[in-house]
Amino acid sequence: MGQIELTSVTKSFGDVQVIPPLDLTIEDGEFAVFVGPSGCGKSTLLRLIAGLEDTTSGTVAIDGEDVTQVSPSKRGLSMVFQTYALYPHMTVRKNIAFPMRMAGLSDDEQKKRIAAAAESLNLTDYLDRKPGQLSGGQRQRVAIGRAIVRDPKAFLFDEPLSNLDAALRVGMRLEITEMHERMKTTMIYVTHDQVEAMTMADKIVVLQAGVIEQVGSPIELYEAPKNLFVAGFIGSPKMNFIEGEEAAKHSAKTIGIRPEHIDVVESGGQWKGTVGVAEHLGSDTFFHVHGTGLAETLTVRAVGNVALKHGDKIELNPRAAEVHRFDQAELRIA
Amino acid sequence: MSDRRLPRLLQTPAVILLLIWMLIPLGMTLYFSFIRYVLNSLRRPEWTSPSLSNWRGFGNYEFVLNNKDFFFAIQNSLLIVCSILFATVILGVAIAVLINKAFAGRGIVRVLLISPFFVMPAVNAVLWINMILDPVLGLQGIAVAGINEFIDGMRAAPVVGGFFSLWPELEPISFRATQTSAWAVIIMVTWQWTPFAVLIFMTSLQSEDQQQKEAAILDGAGAWSQFRFLILPHLGRPIAIVVMIQAIFHLSLYAEIEIVSRGNGNKNLPYLIGEFANNNIGAASATGIFAVILANIVAIFLLRMIGKTLME
Repeated sequence: MGQIELTSVTKSFGDVQVIPPLDLTIEDGEFAVFVGPSGCGKSTLLRLIAGLEDTTSGTVAIDGEDVTQVSPSKRGLSMVFQTYALYPHMTVRKNIAFPMRMAGLSDDEQKKRIAAAAESLNLTDYLDRKPGQLSGGQRQRVAIGRAIVRDPKAFLFDEPLSNLDAALRVGMRLEITEMHERMKTTMIYVTHDQVEAMTMADKIVVLQAGVIEQVGSPIELYEAPKNLFVAGFIGSPKMNFIEGEEAAKHSAKTIGIRPEHIDVVESGGQWKGTVGVAEHLGSDTFFHVHGTGLAETLTVRAVGNVALKHGDKIELNPRAAEVHRFDQAELRIA
Repeated sequence: MSDRRLPRLLQTPAVILLLIWMLIPLGMTLYFSFIRYVLNSLRRPEWTSPSLSNWRGFGNYEFVLNNKDFFFAIQNSLLIVCSILFATVILGVAIAVLINKAFAGRGIVRVLLISPFFVMPAVNAVLWINMILDPVLGLQGIAVAGINEFIDGMRAAPVVGGFFSLWPELEPISFRATQTSAWAVIIMVTWQWTPFAVLIFMTSLQSEDQQQKEAAILDGAGAWSQFRFLILPHLGRPIAIVVMIQAIFHLSLYAEIEIVSRGNGNKNLPYLIGEFANNNIGAASATGIFAVILANIVAIFLLRMIGKTLME
């Protein structure tokens, strides 16, 4: 079990309210990702759930039980930190055993759980090393091992992959997702990387300045962003925003169209411009198009290799059905 | 090859200077320890200037080994050094952990804590032996007299009087006495050097990883477990440094011993050397060589014990 419910939770540091009243429910077994730009309060929110920060007001409940005043260790949650936070003078084995030792588990039980965790995380050969002798990815796995053996109600991940290099990050992302599929334990994952959010989450919580902008599944957020912020934040490359006359045609203040929803055509295109930068990736080609008169730059994604280069004329056709419309208040027009 | 020669050539002056710095005093001490050499002798004026014709072989060493104070001085040197190390490390860790948390007036408390370290050793000794430890005029004497007076007064009181009449009259301790003067030195040097330990431990605690601490909290570690499994191992290296530096300094304590009891019942090796050096340079040099040997033994011990921590 591990249903987590926040009810009108606020947090202030001195006079500054970083989290205005906020309600959120994370269902048992769900993989929830808090995503937002840095400083949006996502880590603070995670720390409030963990109990490392006290709420200024409101309640945190786990499985329906109010734990607002309960100490962090009694909440039954495990956390994986960005800097791994391994105990540097202990071996991997002792690091993983530490929470069990604190809980006073028997030696046999400890050994069993360490063996199981090491097995599933490929750490068996490293159990007698110290954290300083491990690579970043291995350290992260030890931190996850330390979290697993406690058999927590929920895992909390605080930007766990941001200290790893790109290749490792993709690998660990898969491992964590698979771990979730296997264990079916609630996981809350904080990241500023929308790709991580899109690929891992059951439910994404988009935050800005402590306010929840939208909650939903990755595809919901992609297909129907509630407002300009979410529309711009989710999806890579970013959605193109067009204001003025073109938007007025759709009777909106701003329209948005994703790069993958603009087609490059030989002739008869609705929009015309010149290629500023062409990024040829083989599978796709990204064009940054100038001089369309719509926005400073339009980003366009064409499937496969399209042989246009800097300075070439390009003609574009937006797919009308994929245009997102936003009103004066930056909210979506359905 | 020539590109290696130049850096070596440039290093030589420094190396030569260091060698001269060490080897000449050591060589002279060795030389003096094997000859008869005194500062003043009416009977044998030829001994007053160092010369190979006054060769005494191991005579000075024999003389020193047969001196009744020699082994006592070695034992006392070790007692003083070890006691001070023990007390300063424990007090230092305790105080550093205590003031690591933010509280109002922490800045002032820190400055006050560090201040004993800036007191000159001789002043420190005079202050303690006369104003604090003195059995009559010092704080100790006043406190003991006060307690005795209080107990005296309570003996007449109803109900509890019987209880207090069982109490013996307290005797103030004279710290200039043979048996206690070493403890006076230990107390005053501990007072002076605890700030040093606090300072080093405090800076080390500031570099502690906060996320590690939070991880430990989530792992269910209480205050004691955090201290035992996180803070203490984190302080391993600074403790090693404090022990090493203090051992070097306290093996050569002199001013405090001189002021507390003029070496009466409380000599260490440097003090014994000083006593010999009043006239008998040969014996003083031989003791000096023994002191070098003792310091090396201590150093080897420390390096064995501490080297591991430092290398990790």
